[in-house]
Amino acid sequence: MLTTNNKSNVIIEMQNVGIRYGQGPEILSDIRLSLRKGSFHFLTGRSGAGKTSLLSMMYLAQKPSRGSVSVFGQNVNFANRDSLALLRRKIGVVFQDFRLIDHLSAFDNVALPLRVCGMDEREVRKRVMELLQWVELDRSIQATPETLSGGEKQRVAIARAVINRPDLLLADEPTGNVDNDIAPKLMKLFVELNKLGTTVVIATHSEKLISDFAYPRLHLHNRGLRIFGPNDPTGMGVRHV
Amino acid sequence: MSKQPNFIARHEELPLKNNSTSLFLQIMVGIAVFLFAVTLSGVLAINTMLQNWNESILGSLTVQIMPSTDVNPEKAAAETIAHQNKALDVLRSLSFVEKADPLTDKQLEKLIQPWLGDGIAIDDLPVPRIIDVKLKRNVDIDFMDLAYKLAQATPMASVDNHKLWLNKLIQFADGIKILALSILALVIMITSGAIFYTTQTSLGLHKYTIEILHQMGAKDTYVAQQYAKRSAILAFQGGVVGLLIAIPTIFGIASLAHQIEGGIIGEAKLSSLDWLSIIGLPAFAAIIAMLTAYYTVKQTLQKLM
Repeated sequence: MLTTNNKSNVIIEMQNVGIRYGQGPEILSDIRLSLRKGSFHFLTGRSGAGKTSLLSMMYLAQKPSRGSVSVFGQNVNFANRDSLALLRRKIGVVFQDFRLIDHLSAFDNVALPLRVCGMDEREVRKRVMELLQWVELDRSIQATPETLSGGEKQRVAIARAVINRPDLLLADEPTGNVDNDIAPKLMKLFVELNKLGTTVVIATHSEKLISDFAYPRLHLHNRGLRIFGPNDPTGMGVRHV
Repeated sequence: MSKQPNFIARHEELPLKNNSTSLFLQIMVGIAVFLFAVTLSGVLAINTMLQNWNESILGSLTVQIMPSTDVNPEKAAAETIAHQNKALDVLRSLSFVEKADPLTDKQLEKLIQPWLGDGIAIDDLPVPRIIDVKLKRNVDIDFMDLAYKLAQATPMASVDNHKLWLNKLIQFADGIKILALSILALVIMITSGAIFYTTQTSLGLHKYTIEILHQMGAKDTYVAQQYAKRSAILAFQGGVVGLLIAIPTIFGIASLAHQIEGGIIGEAKLSSLDWLSIIGLPAFAAIIAMLTAYYTVKQTLQKLM
């Protein structure tokens, strides 16, 4: 069972959601989705299918043009700015373009989510150093993003997304730029977090990644959303209601 | 495992130090503080001067005895003195009068010396006699009753309680105060306007970083505090430079004023408290800057999701 009606167990719920930009046509229509706590999904679809738009609603950077979105039980349409900020602290995001702050070191970039919460600086250092060692960037802690390779930047972005042990982790092509030997290690990190209770959604084009990990798939097609089970290679899944 | 660095310097998330608008803000606040420091020093000095005059005048009044018009100088002088004595009797009988003393010939000579020169015999001239009256403190004084009793005793006496010319001076000082308040309003507007403009520009420049901070869960307050802190520092620095230029200017104006009119302006001095108020202006500017930046950021970010 991929969805549940138990509200306390639902991390994200979308009802009849549509997104349009300006006066253009809707790029997503009538999206209905309910993500259970502790679930793990891949998000797939052709380029331009609306993966990034759907993710941006999930990480509260965008409100729907119509319909309602609830995150952690709170209706985003009516939440004030401070409430949204508190909700975002529970969400880790790995952006496709990394979105690192160029004048900050790898260390400071990873420390951001902890510092905005006002965590004690000693605890920040301990946690950040541990994680940077884990993603094999402990030799580059003072390096700024412009001196890092694409793969290194991606690892910094991932470290920043998971440093706060988020309840919801959203990643847009998180292994797209990393070497073949580090990609499984990063996926292992996501899987471990998921086992600890984090809900994970990973947008990807990688068929290998999808086939290597037996998780259900949210597939965007023709402005709608379909959901496929982990062992559904035919792509004949049932439209999710 | 690699060795951990002992100290990792924390960098500002918003690189506000390197803003191109920082110098503009410092110059604007510097000019504003300079203008206000000079004006404030003038107002405070005039206030002190008026206070001193007021205190000395409130406890005193002057009774003038017009000289007799008799053609015989000796007789005229005797008549004038007789009128003066009658006035003195009345004054000394009043409960609210502490002391009433006529000015001596020497004191009168000194008063008219600037106009008539040295070697004057007062008795030979038809000059009024003057009685200096000291009044008791914290006692109700009926000036109408005083004038009536004096007029009954001698028609040659007239009372001057200095109110007329003091009122004119107070009107002048009030005018200066209004001017100072206008300059203060201007200073606040300049400072707030400069902060508003530089903050808006900076928010535009750092939009990308602010979006990331928001995504990491930063509240608007987190961003606003960084701007408020930076603006306060810049305004304080600009204000200190403005003040450092203002202090010698204040001394220069004071020196010039003494050269022009030492008698009156001589009393226009700044007390330690006045100097403290002037020295506190950069801190005042910093508070305005801090509050303006804080609320500008909050207002601007409200328009975002």
